[in-house]
Amino acid sequence: MRYQPVMGLEIHCEMLTNSKVFCSCQNEFGGGENTRVCPRCSGMPGTLPLLNKGAVKLAAKAGFATNCTVNNYSAFDRKNYFYPDLPKAYQITQFESPICTDGYIDVVGGKRIRINRIHIEEDAGKLVHDDYEGVSMADYNRCGVPLIEIVTEPDFRSVEEVQDFVTQIAQRMKYAGVCDARMEQGSLRVDVNISLMPIGSDKFGTRTEIKNLNSVKSIGRAIEYEIKRQADILDDGGEVVQETRRYNDSQDNTKSLRSKVEAHDYRYFPEPDIPPVVFTDEEIEEIRKEMPELPQERFLRYTEGYKIPQEDAKLIIAQKEFSDFYDEAVKITPEYKLIANLMLGEISHQLNDREMDITAVTFTPANMAKIAEMAAGGVVSKGSAKDIIIIMFDKGGEPEAIAKDNGFIMDNDTSGLDEIIDKVLIEQADAVEKYKNGNDKLFGFIMGQAIKAAGKGANPALIKEALASKLK
Amino acid sequence: MTLTELRKKLDSHEIGAVELAQDYLKKIKERDAVINSYITVCEEEAIEMAKKAQGVIDRGEAKPLTGIPVSVKDNICTDGIRTTCASRMLEDFVPVYDATAVAKLKAENYVMLGKTNMDEFAMGGSSQTSYFGGPTNPYNTDCVTGGSSGGAAASVAAGLCAAALGSDTGGSVRQPSAFCGVTGLKPTYGTVSRWGLIAFASSLDQIGVVANSAEDTAYVLNTIYGYDENDATTSQKSMGDYTSMVGEDISKLKIGVPKEFFEGTDDEVREAVLKAADYYKHLGCEIVECSLPSLKYAVAAYYLISSAEAASNLSRFDGIKYGYRSNVGEDYNELIKNTRREGFGNEVKHRIMLGNYALCSGYYDAYYNNARRIRTQIRNEYSAIFEKCDVILTPTAPTTAYKIGEQENDPVKMYTADICTVTVNIAGLPAISTTCGYDKNGMPIGMSLTGKAFDEKTIVAVCDKFEKDFDRKECAL
Repeated sequence: MRYQPVMGLEIHCEMLTNSKVFCSCQNEFGGGENTRVCPRCSGMPGTLPLLNKGAVKLAAKAGFATNCTVNNYSAFDRKNYFYPDLPKAYQITQFESPICTDGYIDVVGGKRIRINRIHIEEDAGKLVHDDYEGVSMADYNRCGVPLIEIVTEPDFRSVEEVQDFVTQIAQRMKYAGVCDARMEQGSLRVDVNISLMPIGSDKFGTRTEIKNLNSVKSIGRAIEYEIKRQADILDDGGEVVQETRRYNDSQDNTKSLRSKVEAHDYRYFPEPDIPPVVFTDEEIEEIRKEMPELPQERFLRYTEGYKIPQEDAKLIIAQKEFSDFYDEAVKITPEYKLIANLMLGEISHQLNDREMDITAVTFTPANMAKIAEMAAGGVVSKGSAKDIIIIMFDKGGEPEAIAKDNGFIMDNDTSGLDEIIDKVLIEQADAVEKYKNGNDKLFGFIMGQAIKAAGKGANPALIKEALASKLK
Repeated sequence: MTLTELRKKLDSHEIGAVELAQDYLKKIKERDAVINSYITVCEEEAIEMAKKAQGVIDRGEAKPLTGIPVSVKDNICTDGIRTTCASRMLEDFVPVYDATAVAKLKAENYVMLGKTNMDEFAMGGSSQTSYFGGPTNPYNTDCVTGGSSGGAAASVAAGLCAAALGSDTGGSVRQPSAFCGVTGLKPTYGTVSRWGLIAFASSLDQIGVVANSAEDTAYVLNTIYGYDENDATTSQKSMGDYTSMVGEDISKLKIGVPKEFFEGTDDEVREAVLKAADYYKHLGCEIVECSLPSLKYAVAAYYLISSAEAASNLSRFDGIKYGYRSNVGEDYNELIKNTRREGFGNEVKHRIMLGNYALCSGYYDAYYNNARRIRTQIRNEYSAIFEKCDVILTPTAPTTAYKIGEQENDPVKMYTADICTVTVNIAGLPAISTTCGYDKNGMPIGMSLTGKAFDEKTIVAVCDKFEKDFDRKECAL
């Protein structure tokens, strides 16, 4: 590759407000067509937008989550274009004075990606095409869903940086309560601007924009495709055309949507129906104080406070609900490492096997805490702890009852243990002989026989101790 | 009869609300075939409303406007009653909600007689761009009513309602009031909610009142003004009674006369307005010569700002959701093109093109941004004048009502005729127009009193004083 790719991102996040950004219709996903529509969001003549203050607050929080300045003054503008899914024929957005500016996020390799701005805008509706009937129908449910658009500087130089950034934005927006970041549902959508320049150059090439990427994986594939496409053009002595392209997941290619000449002139101008948003420093501070714990802060709590290995901490934090479940459990039983191991071990394993999400399990963080408490206190073995988890997945139930019913409660009474072990040593005389002659591996075998002889509920730790002293 | 007097007669059962409504409906039938001030007459609804109002009056629960017959400009939404904006585009459009101003009138059990004629989408100064044909001036039916609230002004002048709601973006309440010899009040921007007023230029539009006197306009304003959650640009100020200063001594007030407003006006208009200045001087008021130097840029700035906003506001009329839809069009782009080509009249198209041109990325700074700068400049110049004066006296229009068809082919002349009224909208100030004389043909001459922001009370009182000493001529219908 003789070219250096240069990339910048525009990320749209649907905000988690109860109502839409300029009316009181509910803000939800799905539902029957045009069931969440009112005179305002369907652009009836004479209606006016009513700014949702909750949306403004969430946008400010998105700024705090990405090291932005939250501005004392921001204002709305109109972006004018005709499309049947846009009932007013203009989108209310922030053009001249966005709510947040000048942020950054550090990505893989410690590189700092600058965020130019975050602004508030409204989503458009959807068109449903019926090819059979030869008609298109408009569904306005999504009209007026509050969005933020996060715009970066062209600071990315590799696919990994882009993917890490998007992953972090998704996590941070989720943790900040701004967006549920469900890319597959379109609640977080990414546009990539991409250009190539000869390695060693500092003059950016002509860029293309790939719109509406909806998974971290397809972002990677789309960028790789586009880099190759542009490199081929440049290699042939051609020129990249400035245009907007769409990535097709199933065909793994990008296709032109419209070129620069066909680009809209959006004729932005200040939205006269909404007064500017003015915050005092105190009001901004109030919002900052309401910020929930962000993933990077949680990471430090896990690694430094709980001494969880960094890789494990990252894995737990990756999904907020999973991490919240962990937090609830360790709040009850502060067995940080044990609970981390059980959750990343058997629980993750079961979730994967069953294609489930932590939010769908029927047992509680308190159940998890109880299992950890029993395992740590030697009431059940760690192996039994895993069995209890499996049973809870299968049939539900309380950990203590499961342990009792299945004989997982360990017998910590050592009386009689000597006789059992002696009997095993006689029965397995051959193995004992070989072990004493240096075949260390046979300890495990003898141990297994001893546990079997001791029966369910035997405490392996005690057996191991007794066996070791006898074989010395 | 003033609205206060009418109120007394209704409350004392000297007149019944139904009988009153019937009287007006009868007059509409007799006169409006020529005047054409109504696009839609709501005969049945009016009688129903009057019956309801009478019930309220009988229970002794009457509010100021209970049973009062009012007309509403046809760009103000009325639930279940078609609201056309005098455009083919909305010929059959029936809103599903009431404008806030209408809802407030309804809450007092007013009687709505119908929806009045206007320039299409309120764009114009003659009301002749109406898709339904323009109204005629009750003082001379060969003449225009002015506009865009021409139907509102004519309906009051011809006695076809007791008061009228209009809208004023660049003079649309005041100028037709001047042409039709009645009183028109344009309140401070943010006084009356714009919820339900079909937008022309959102930063300039304001619902106003046309009536037989300054006091009557204030009387109606008392009911319709106020903060509205549905319109974020409404003021939270509580103003009390807008008629409260009527009858008070105004002789200590300083009245500014900005010279630029008298430069391009007809002689008869200038003389009549200056005579009104003399009247105030004789009362003891101080007449202060003052200046609004940016007036020469005002019409250009007004047309850039209002057309830019209009271009955006009117984009929603695409034939997809409501209103007119063309039968011709294979795809969306064709459909919308043909819908707008067929649905809008020429004046509306002119403004949309002008507005979009001004907002184009290459011209934005030269046009729209410069217009914004002039807007700031004009506001500053008004502030400077109001440091020395309490109210400003100007002509309402450079001429009196002209013959129908006379200015149709001269858009520049038509646009410059707005020079006396647009600065008030640009600065968001309140102003009231009343008749101060008649030209040699007997057509009314209007003068305007402009006040400080939210100081409607003073201009109403100053206007009222003049009206009480002025011999207003009834139109000869």
